[in-house]
Amino acid sequence: MPGHKLSTALGLLPGLRACERDPAREARALADLACWSGRFTPTVSLAPPAGLLLEIGGCRRLFGGIEAIVAAVLDGCRIQGWSVDWAVAPTPLGARWLARAGAAACYESLAALQAALADLPCAVPDWPAEVVARLDAFGLRRLGELSAQPAGGLRRRIGNGPVDDLLRACGELPDPQRAFVFPERFAAGLELPSRVEFAEGLAFAAQRLFAALAGWLQVRQSLLRVGTLQLTHDDGSSSALPLRFGEPCADEGRFMRLLREHLSRLQLVAPVEALSLMADELVARPDASAGLFEQAVQGEGAAACIERLRARLGDDAVRSLALHADHRPECASRSDDPAGIFAAKTASTATFGKPRPLWLLPAPQPLAERVDGPHWHGPLQLVTRGERLESGWWDSGEQSAVGDLRRDYFVARTGEGQWAWIFRDAQGWFLHGLFA
Amino acid sequence: MSAQPSPVSLAAVLARGDIWRGDALPGLAAGTIASGYAELDAELPGGGWPRGNLTEILVDRGGIGEISLLLPALARLSGEGGCLALVAPPWLPHAPAWAAAGVAPERLLVIRPGKQLAWCVEQLLRCGGFAGLLAWPDASIDARALRRLQVAAEGQSVFAVLWRSTVDAATPSPAPLRLTLAAGADRLALRILKRRGRPASRLLQVEIPRPGRKTRVVAGPAFSAADAGSTAAAAVA
Repeated sequence: MPGHKLSTALGLLPGLRACERDPAREARALADLACWSGRFTPTVSLAPPAGLLLEIGGCRRLFGGIEAIVAAVLDGCRIQGWSVDWAVAPTPLGARWLARAGAAACYESLAALQAALADLPCAVPDWPAEVVARLDAFGLRRLGELSAQPAGGLRRRIGNGPVDDLLRACGELPDPQRAFVFPERFAAGLELPSRVEFAEGLAFAAQRLFAALAGWLQVRQSLLRVGTLQLTHDDGSSSALPLRFGEPCADEGRFMRLLREHLSRLQLVAPVEALSLMADELVARPDASAGLFEQAVQGEGAAACIERLRARLGDDAVRSLALHADHRPECASRSDDPAGIFAAKTASTATFGKPRPLWLLPAPQPLAERVDGPHWHGPLQLVTRGERLESGWWDSGEQSAVGDLRRDYFVARTGEGQWAWIFRDAQGWFLHGLFA
Repeated sequence: MSAQPSPVSLAAVLARGDIWRGDALPGLAAGTIASGYAELDAELPGGGWPRGNLTEILVDRGGIGEISLLLPALARLSGEGGCLALVAPPWLPHAPAWAAAGVAPERLLVIRPGKQLAWCVEQLLRCGGFAGLLAWPDASIDARALRRLQVAAEGQSVFAVLWRSTVDAATPSPAPLRLTLAAGADRLALRILKRRGRPASRLLQVEIPRPGRKTRVVAGPAFSAADAGSTAAAAVA
């Protein structure tokens, strides 16, 4: 019930929570929502304080009809926690008036729109109060009655503005809208309604931010590679949660899955009061045609999976392998960032004249030496001649470097049928690998 | 088995690898990938390693040639551009050897999942982006986890192998194909414990490439006559 004093309202409903209105925050929220709606249409206009106009006439084919777009928009708003009044109409002003009156319906033709407008009361909220009062004094209750009046007399009595508005709403005057300009860089913030002490609780709030980000990326035709979620704590400090994507993406669902993995591992140092999200690194979305025929795409693909594993297990737990040109076996393979898995690299063509084992021990294991040679699960039979490796003088003495090696490598067999790669150096015999 | 003249018992006919009862040996929905060993392909349902199913290989000791048994199939998957994953491998993979065998190291993922192996393997199977997966679960993995993994693999085209110990041979497992490996005299002795279709009990002897030269055994580090080097070059792991 508008118009009551706060004391009256509290008297009527003792449990009422009163919040001070913050126009700046409302404007920010509206801008975030406009960013989000970029996924539906590139032509978005703000209608402050609380209206958003989406031009969807051009995208009906893409989504499969107006009903589908409306359902998607309403669903998205509901998930983000907004309640909306909506209407679809051929003119922006008509749609706004109908939405505000709670029409919740589609009027596809001008005739249907005019019929619907005719039923609305004359008390249009945007019009000055004296105009509304004067119309009331004339005995005009509905817009239909108003538009039936002669325009010239009406203009003299209530001014040009309201009459032009009426003509715009009915589609008789053009009504160009100022398009919402999607920001050059994405940074959105959100103050939480209450302090959040557990990391998992942030997921819901962050969803709004990621929804806005996904819409913005869609309009900008970009994909996100690295983003940062900034958490502002109640003691004024802030901490950053970097989000890295194995493969750049613009999919809200993937953002949220990755975020949940991160949040489940995150220990909050202090309760969180506000969130903000920045898009740090973007890549242009590559042009790709959709397949003409139905293609069997099952699951989310390797990139998303790698990303999820890295989020939960840590970056070091998921590595790809890389060759390195070094004769020392410890240095010949390196672990690499798995992002390279999708890069079209030329295959490395390393050829070794001598056998190399598939498995290498993390560190050479000393072997006992008896009269008949080295022992490992029994005596070892040497199968090949020695291969001398003498290399690495350049990093000897350095920290955590392999250093200078002088070794004779042999392939050897145990009595139990295992094939081992062993070497002998000045310290004796060592097991270094297995031919699995 | 060659075709025998007249009185052939029904059991003998059904024992042939190329004849099966229509209701007993289902075709493999996700297809197979040839193992590269003809005698093994003849015994595997569908004529190769199954895709979209778990394969359990029970082996007690690493280093007898167990990976070499899979290498032809893995090399083909990798050569087609597929990604392979090693989950909790017992040792470090040595990139030059994998590359020489035809597996592109940059598309070989090494994952150390710690205690979350089952979750990790399930994600890898379910995502559908991997062509091959080798996982070394610890002994504590239970039938429920295996069941989940089998369900995750179904419908994907992944060739998934779990390495387990022969101690687990007696415990039931949802994997449709199980086999044990042991080192034979100079070949790999392979026994199929379980497969779709008729049961197999014959011990297969698979000859896999081994490094060096089998016939020539040098008694010690002392150098001996010349020819070992050239043959060693041909056979890599």
